[in-house]
Amino acid sequence: MATPENVKDIIQYVPFTSFVNPSFWHSFTDIKFNVDKLSENTKQIYGRFSYANDIGPVFEVDGTAFNKQPEAELMYLSIRGTLMNKNTIDDFKSIDKASLLNSIGEIIWHNSIITRLWMCNPSCLLNFFILSFADLKKYHYYYWFAFPTPSQPTVFLKEKSKSILTEFNESEIRTISQNYQLLHHSQRCFFVIRKENETVKVETLSNIFNRTDNTCNLDISSVYFAFTDPSNNGNPGWPLRIFLAALLEYSAIFHGSVIKVIGIRSSKEVGCQSSQIFNVMLPENVQCLQKLGWVGWERNDRGNFGPKLSDMSASMSPKKLAAESADLNIKLMQWRLVPDLNIEIMKNTKCLLIGAGTLGCQVARNLLAWGFRHIHFVDKGKVSYSNPTRQVLYTYHDCRDGGKNKVDAAAESLLSIHPDVIVINSALGFDSYLVMRHGIWSPNPESTTIHSTYVPGDQVGCYFCNDVTAPGNSQKDRTLDQQCTVTRPGVAAIAGALAVELLASLLQHKLGVRAPAPYNISDEMIDPEFEGVLGPVPHSIRGFLHSYQTVVPTYRKFKQCIACSEVVIDNYRKEGINFLLNVFNSGTYLEEVTGLTELQLTAEMSEVLTFSDEDQDTDE
Amino acid sequence: MRPSSSQATGISPETFVYAARDFIELSDKYMDSWTIYQNDNEILSTHLKREEFISHRDQRGKVFLYRAEYVIFYNLSYGVPSFSFNVWDCTGKLLTLEQVRDISLMKTRKEDFFSVVTQQEHPVLYKPYFIIHPCHTAELLSMFRKTSKNLIITFLSLITPLIQLNLPLEYGLL
Repeated sequence: MATPENVKDIIQYVPFTSFVNPSFWHSFTDIKFNVDKLSENTKQIYGRFSYANDIGPVFEVDGTAFNKQPEAELMYLSIRGTLMNKNTIDDFKSIDKASLLNSIGEIIWHNSIITRLWMCNPSCLLNFFILSFADLKKYHYYYWFAFPTPSQPTVFLKEKSKSILTEFNESEIRTISQNYQLLHHSQRCFFVIRKENETVKVETLSNIFNRTDNTCNLDISSVYFAFTDPSNNGNPGWPLRIFLAALLEYSAIFHGSVIKVIGIRSSKEVGCQSSQIFNVMLPENVQCLQKLGWVGWERNDRGNFGPKLSDMSASMSPKKLAAESADLNIKLMQWRLVPDLNIEIMKNTKCLLIGAGTLGCQVARNLLAWGFRHIHFVDKGKVSYSNPTRQVLYTYHDCRDGGKNKVDAAAESLLSIHPDVIVINSALGFDSYLVMRHGIWSPNPESTTIHSTYVPGDQVGCYFCNDVTAPGNSQKDRTLDQQCTVTRPGVAAIAGALAVELLASLLQHKLGVRAPAPYNISDEMIDPEFEGVLGPVPHSIRGFLHSYQTVVPTYRKFKQCIACSEVVIDNYRKEGINFLLNVFNSGTYLEEVTGLTELQLTAEMSEVLTFSDEDQDTDE
Repeated sequence: MRPSSSQATGISPETFVYAARDFIELSDKYMDSWTIYQNDNEILSTHLKREEFISHRDQRGKVFLYRAEYVIFYNLSYGVPSFSFNVWDCTGKLLTLEQVRDISLMKTRKEDFFSVVTQQEHPVLYKPYFIIHPCHTAELLSMFRKTSKNLIITFLSLITPLIQLNLPLEYGLL
C-alpha cells in the first residue's frame, strides 16, 4: 500500500490479516465434537491484535478464543467476535456473503452506534466474524474472516501522516504511554488525548461526549482522537474506519471538519513513540451510512475475496502422525548411520506374502518397521484358537465365531499397528530355518561364466534346486514348510526378521535383484563389488537353534530343478494349466520331466553318497 | 545416547521450578515475554512459553509471516530442562522440520540438526512438538553449575547455537 503522497489523498485503511494458532483448531474441534455436535448456533469468541509496531496488522485467534473472558497480553487488544460454523460445505459455499455481512453490520449499527453505546464502551465498535466449515475426517478447516465496517464515508488525509514526535515531546509521550496502560481494556480502542498548557491528558470518550445530549459543543480542534492502531506503515489501521463513521453519525459538527487522529503504536523499547498523527478531512454531505452496505471480508493468499483453508491433518490426524513418526525412525537411520539408504524404494515396493501364518505374520511386521507400505496376503485359512500365540498378528478375538479369514484379520491388524515382486521364501524345521532369495528367470543371462568367488544374483538357485542336492530325499523334504506349526516359537521370529533384512539388503544394493551372492561372507576382505548399502547380500541363510549356528551357503541354479529349470518353465508356457494338472496328479511327473528320475538311477548305480543339507557343494 | 553419567546428575523438579520462577522475573523485567504455566498439584507440568512472529522472504521476494512457539519444560527421565518448539503459518498449519530449516530459524548442518531434534508428542502439552534431545544437557549444565546464576538462562544459552532465539542481552548482566 502506497504512502499517501499528495494532499487530499483518500484514506487507505490497512486491513487485518488473520492468523490462526493451531490451538484454535484444537479447541474448535473439541467443542464441535463434544458440545455443539450438529448445532449450527453461532458462538461468541475472542480474538486479538497487537499494536506493537514490528509485525503489522495481524489479527490472531487461539485456543483461548472460546474462553468466557479474554486473556490479557502485553501490547495486545482483545475484541469480541462471532463464529458461525456450517455443517456442510454446500451451506458454507452458498450462504450469501454480502447480505450476511450486512446483517451483522445492521446489528452493530443498531446496538452500538444508534444507541451511542460506543461512547461509554468503545470496544463495542470493533467486531470480527468467522464463517467456517470443518471437514473433521480430514482435519481440513475452511474459514473466512470478516472485520465489519460501513463501506462509507470516504474520507481524506489533509496531509501525509507524521510521527507523534512532531507534536509531542518525549516526556509527553511517556505520559501518554503510562496513561494508556491505565485505561480499562474496553476503553483502549478509541479514546481522546488532550494537551492543555503543558499537561497531556488521556481521557475516555465519555469524558467529552454525553450519550443523552444531542447537542455537542466540543471544540474539535482542542482534542486528538486516538485509537489503538494495528498498522505499521503510513496508513491508519482498519479500526479507525468505523470510529469515523460513528463520529459522523453522532453529530453534524464533524461534517466537513478536519480532525486530528493519533494511531497508538508501541514498541518494547520506546513505548508509544512510533505512534502516527493523521489529519483527517471528513466529508460535508453524509448520507445515511448503514444503508450503503458493510464491507470487511478478508482477502485470501491469492489476493481474492475468498475463504482460506487450513490443512491440519499433519498435526491433528493420528494416522498421519503415526506415519510420519514411523518414517522419521527410518530417516534417522539414514541420517545417522546409512546416508545412502534409499527410503523411497521401501515405500514403493509391493510385497506379496503367500501364507499369513507364523512366518507371514512375522515378516509383515518387520516389513512395516522397514517402511514397506504395500503388503498383500494370500491365504485361504481362518484364524483358529491355536494361532494367536505364535501368529503375532492375531488375537483371541479373531478366533471367535468360527474365526475370521486370516487375510482379513492380518490386514486389520497391520492397519491397527500402522494405518496406510520379489520372492523370498522361508522354511522352518523343528529347530532350524532357511531364508533364501531366488534367482530371477532371464532369457539371456548376462554371463554364464562361472566365477570362483560369487554367483550373480540372477543365477542363484531356488529353494527346490537345493532340495535336490539330495535327490533321494526330494519327495520327503518337499513339504518341509508344512511342519512349521511344530517349530520352536523363536524360529519364526528369527526367520521372519532375516527374510525382511535380506529383502532390505537386496533392495538397497545398487544391482538390486542381480546383487552377487558371495560364496564366502566374512568380516574382512569383502570385495567392494559385493558390498551393498547395507553390506553384502547372501544367497541363503540357514540356522540351527539346537547348536545356535548360522551358515550362509551360496549355490547356482540346478539345471534339472523341479521348479526353476528351463524345461519346467517351457512346459508351463506351452501347456499352461494342463501342465499343472499333470504335476498335481503325479508326484513323480516333475521328476520325469526334469530328468531327475534318470539322475537318481545314475546316482544309485554309481553309489554316490547323499549330501547333507549344510553341504555347500555346487556341483551341477 | 545414554542418560548422563553419575558425575553429571540432573536437577530435581523443584530446582527447575524455582529457576523458572526466577527466570520469569527477569524476563518480565527485560520485557522478554516469557510466561510461566504452573499447577501446584502437578509440579511436572510447570513450563515456560514464549511466542513470536518470524517473517521470511522467499526466493521470489514474497514475505511470509510465521509464528514460533518455544516451550521449556522439565524432562523427568533425564532430570534436566528440555527445549521444545513449533512453527506455524497463518492457517495454523505446523511447519515440517525441513521447512523450519528453510526459513533459517536454525543455522545448523542438516545431519547435526536431525540428530538432535525429533518430533514427538509433548510430555506436558500432549500435542506434537519438535523436541531437542536432552542427552547431553545434564553434562553441559553441570559444567556451569558453579558459575550459573540462573539455570534457565544457562540452558537457553546452550540452545541458541541451534535456534535463532533473540535473547535480550541484559540476561548476560547476571
